[in-house]
Amino acid sequence: MNYQLLCSFARKALTLLFALCATGAALVSLGCAQTNLDTEPISVYSREDGSGTRSAFASLFGLETTINDKTVDTITPTAVVTNSTAVMMTSVASDPAAIGYISYGSLNDSVKALAIDGVVPSIETIKDRSYKVYRTFALVTDAPFEETSSTHNQETSILKNDFLRFVSSEQGQAIIESEGFVSALSDPALYERAAASQRPHGKLVIAGSSSVTGIMEKLSEAYEELNPDASIEVQQSDSTTGISMVQSGTCDIGMTSRDLTSSEEASGMVATPLAYDGIAVIVNPDFPLDDLSSTEVARIFSGEIKTFGELPSWQQTSKQNDTTGA
Amino acid sequence: MRQSSFKETAARICFMAAAALSIVAVALICIFLFANGIPALAEIGLPEFLLGQTWKPTADEFGIFPMIIGSIYVTVGAIIIGVPAGIFTAIYLSRFASKGIARILRPGIELLAGIPSVVYGFFALMVVVPLIRTTLPGNGFSLLAAALILGIMILPTIITVSKSALDAVPKNYYEGALALGATHERAVFRIMVPAAFSGIMAAVVLGIGRALGETMAVVMVAGNQPVIPESLLSGVRTLTANIVLEMGYAADLHKGALIATGVVLFVLIMLISLLFAAIKKRGEKS
Repeated sequence: MNYQLLCSFARKALTLLFALCATGAALVSLGCAQTNLDTEPISVYSREDGSGTRSAFASLFGLETTINDKTVDTITPTAVVTNSTAVMMTSVASDPAAIGYISYGSLNDSVKALAIDGVVPSIETIKDRSYKVYRTFALVTDAPFEETSSTHNQETSILKNDFLRFVSSEQGQAIIESEGFVSALSDPALYERAAASQRPHGKLVIAGSSSVTGIMEKLSEAYEELNPDASIEVQQSDSTTGISMVQSGTCDIGMTSRDLTSSEEASGMVATPLAYDGIAVIVNPDFPLDDLSSTEVARIFSGEIKTFGELPSWQQTSKQNDTTGA
Repeated sequence: MRQSSFKETAARICFMAAAALSIVAVALICIFLFANGIPALAEIGLPEFLLGQTWKPTADEFGIFPMIIGSIYVTVGAIIIGVPAGIFTAIYLSRFASKGIARILRPGIELLAGIPSVVYGFFALMVVVPLIRTTLPGNGFSLLAAALILGIMILPTIITVSKSALDAVPKNYYEGALALGATHERAVFRIMVPAAFSGIMAAVVLGIGRALGETMAVVMVAGNQPVIPESLLSGVRTLTANIVLEMGYAADLHKGALIATGVVLFVLIMLISLLFAAIKKRGEKS
């Protein structure tokens, strides 16, 4: 008796579940069919405050203002905030009304990179400066390049300076370019390694920004091949940690994808530019436009423009479509 | 004899050190949090910090009020979703389910507890967020998505704790009820559940603690806007999300403000622990 009751209950529950699923599926398909980008609000995706990509993006698009002598970005506070490139790309790839930004080096086919003011982001356009949206990766040391710092012994100092010479040499910059980044130096010198007996030895610790870690590993491998006695350890964390490790002397070189703060500069930190990284403005692959002007991007990210229909280039395109259609 | 007393002492020290380890860890975390957070709090000012509506670290504006509200909203949402489902599951498992069904359900619930939170987050990002985006207005990154996923995440806590509370109710309560002519359902809902009430409340409080402290899954789906959400469908940033989002790049006062956010969270969790202890004590008394 009890068992039968249970059975009938289970059957009812299953029927209900199926009904729910069917309704859900119907709603989903309905929702898809109704997507109309003209009037649907734009989903703006941004990175967290303090992120190197965010501050670079904001300053490059003029999304900055000064409050109490501090530079503050004016990216709309209603933008969705993601704290990784992966989440940013997944979100944009699945949201038809999305617009976001990532490092050019991380770009793949799951999203579409927009041309800005008619210039498509690529190694060539970043290199010849026609694509204006890029940031600088830099190495941070506690003393200017080639100067021996007080915190290091002779051996580490020699190694550090030799490694920095290698990084900014023709060979080093070639490695940077092969990784999808753009050399920060216009005319690098050729790296000549010392005679076998004078080659630097010892251990060098490099730590900091995860955006720079990839190229730094490639550079240190190449350097260790040339100087087998030297060992270079690359630790991945973030710009701030890298810089504070240089300050405390727990690492020799820091990697940063943002500018030094004034307090960091005051403590004697020196940043040497390493490479340029383009920042791509990304949209869903099905997004109808390929090109936005930098003012349009700025107006979207400041929250001034809320739907794509308000964009001048959108209105132009739909007008063109209308005339070709007629 | 002497050797055995030596062994005794050695073992005692060993066990004591193990026990001291957790106390030392808590003490160190306390010291770290307060030593780093209090100076920042003093610099920002407690009322500005707790009640300030704008969070703009680059402009030295550190108001975590939207995040406190966000944490509360998300937790309440998770409780609304997770608590009824969890308690009913516990009652079902404890008093209604046949052995066969319990054999399937119990490992399932244990599995739910074992899934890493980043996997929950990823699931929510790939399934829940697109589902909300296509069925409801907005882009899916919302209070609703965060509450839904947290509601599922607190289920195992609520189920296991309330089930053990229900199982601990003396058998003669149930038998007495039946003897007085109550049906099985009446005996369970009118006698067993009220008798286990304090245990079930403890489960809810533990669930609140879990929901409040959860970070990874929430960061991935909540949208993380530092503004007070206007509706279920607008984005929200919790206290935990605020810390993990910006820790990587924070320096100076910004870093201090994030640690101070940790202090606020710590105090909240401590209040919840006290509440848990109080409920437990009341349960023991009655």
